Amino acid sequence: MKVYECCGVESVTKKVYCSTCRQEIKNEREVSDKGTVYSFTVIHIAPEEFAHLAPYTVALVQLRDSTAKLTVRIQESVQIGDLVQLEEIKNGTYIYQKVRTA
Amino acid sequence: MTVYVHSVSMTKFGNNENASLKDLMLTASREALDEARDLKIDAVFVGNYMGGSLANQEILGAIVANDLGLGPIPTAKLEGACASGGIALRQGILGILSGEYESVLVVGVEKMKHAPTATVTQFINSAMDQTTNERYAGLTFPGFFGVVANRYFHETGANKSHLAKLALKNRENALQNPLAQFQKPATLEEIMNARMITDPLGLFDCSPITDGAAAVVLSRKPSDIKIAASAQASGPTMMQDAIDLLSLPAIRISGQQAYEKAGVGPEDIDVVEIHDCFSMTEMLAIEELGFFPKLEGWLAIEQGKTRVNGEKPVNTSGGLLSRGHPIGATGVAQFYQLVLQLRGNAPNQLEKRPRLALAQNLGGTGSYSVVHILERV
Repeated sequence: MKVYECCGVESVTKKVYCSTCRQEIKNEREVSDKGTVYSFTVIHIAPEEFAHLAPYTVALVQLRDSTAKLTVRIQESVQIGDLVQLEEIKNGTYIYQKVRTA
Repeated sequence: MTVYVHSVSMTKFGNNENASLKDLMLTASREALDEARDLKIDAVFVGNYMGGSLANQEILGAIVANDLGLGPIPTAKLEGACASGGIALRQGILGILSGEYESVLVVGVEKMKHAPTATVTQFINSAMDQTTNERYAGLTFPGFFGVVANRYFHETGANKSHLAKLALKNRENALQNPLAQFQKPATLEEIMNARMITDPLGLFDCSPITDGAAAVVLSRKPSDIKIAASAQASGPTMMQDAIDLLSLPAIRISGQQAYEKAGVGPEDIDVVEIHDCFSMTEMLAIEELGFFPKLEGWLAIEQGKTRVNGEKPVNTSGGLLSRGHPIGATGVAQFYQLVLQLRGNAPNQLEKRPRLALAQNLGGTGSYSVVHILERV
């Protein structure tokens, strides 16, 4: 998992310029894809393109070695604090699985 | 220079099956123009989000100018997701403050009820960054606020009943508003047990799909209500980029700027319309606007402080949750309710006629926020 950093802010999203120093964001590093569930929801009413998956869980994962968070879809039901890890990246989606309950 | 409000109008919100987007827009515009007949309109600003994609209709500004005989005046449509109406108001105000225009018409409109829910949800999702992993994960707007709500519960003593009490307050307010979409009473039990949309948010925690329009005429010619402040700020376009998931910084910053411009503080505001696209959004907004301490909004709800004639009345119109949420019209409809409150003839009119009113209009998952402060003079 790659994160991008400038002025102390880390993000999994690569942006062009830093909103603090206005310089191009150039720092990047590899971090673990493991993390904990920061929060989550179960989506029952979905847009057309995801209707066939509903209900499905979307979680915001706090990555273990970074201050960055990552929005993922997850197969199991989860709670805040559950330990999770990447299962696969499929069609641009980070699909995670639960490793251990909080 | 000062900008004044001369007239406000609003169609009935809800299912306007027999009215087109154009019909709704012209109905609200005509009513506002009729009330301000002595003013010559110099420009038109339309707030609209998905007229092109969902109602197959653009060139809204030119239609208003042509069909209402306003002449060859400049017009524009403004888009900022659910803040489109507030942004249109702000552009109208700035147009007058620049000296270019004396009087402008601002109209907000949306036509949504004719489309299936999954289609509307799909189009609404275009107000999130569609190039990112969040889109592919299947995150939606109610999904974002569901994630926020679960974290809010985790960090505070709040639970689903506090969101339900907030939604019930707005429903009770809408019962007195003849133009509101929902005028059927609801009970706390019904709200708590309603079908889940995005856990923990149920049906009553989410604003509905709505048709409707609202319009305002603004001018530098004096009236009894002035714009004391207009402010706008931007925020993150993705959930994973929020520095603090329980904060909507665009609301906080636009609020702070508006207070500064008006020379007032949150304690001076008498009546408020907040962008409650979800019950959780109103909870965060009452904190971000400084009405209650951070992470303590739920205590204010528990104590009934935001009810009509409470310490800080919020959404006396019924809010987006129960007045309805025709996206581009919402920001303008907030003006409608607040102007009636300042004039003393609103649904749920406050016992003590207010002097200062605040409208806060949000777009995206906190990507846009517009705050206006209106003052009775």
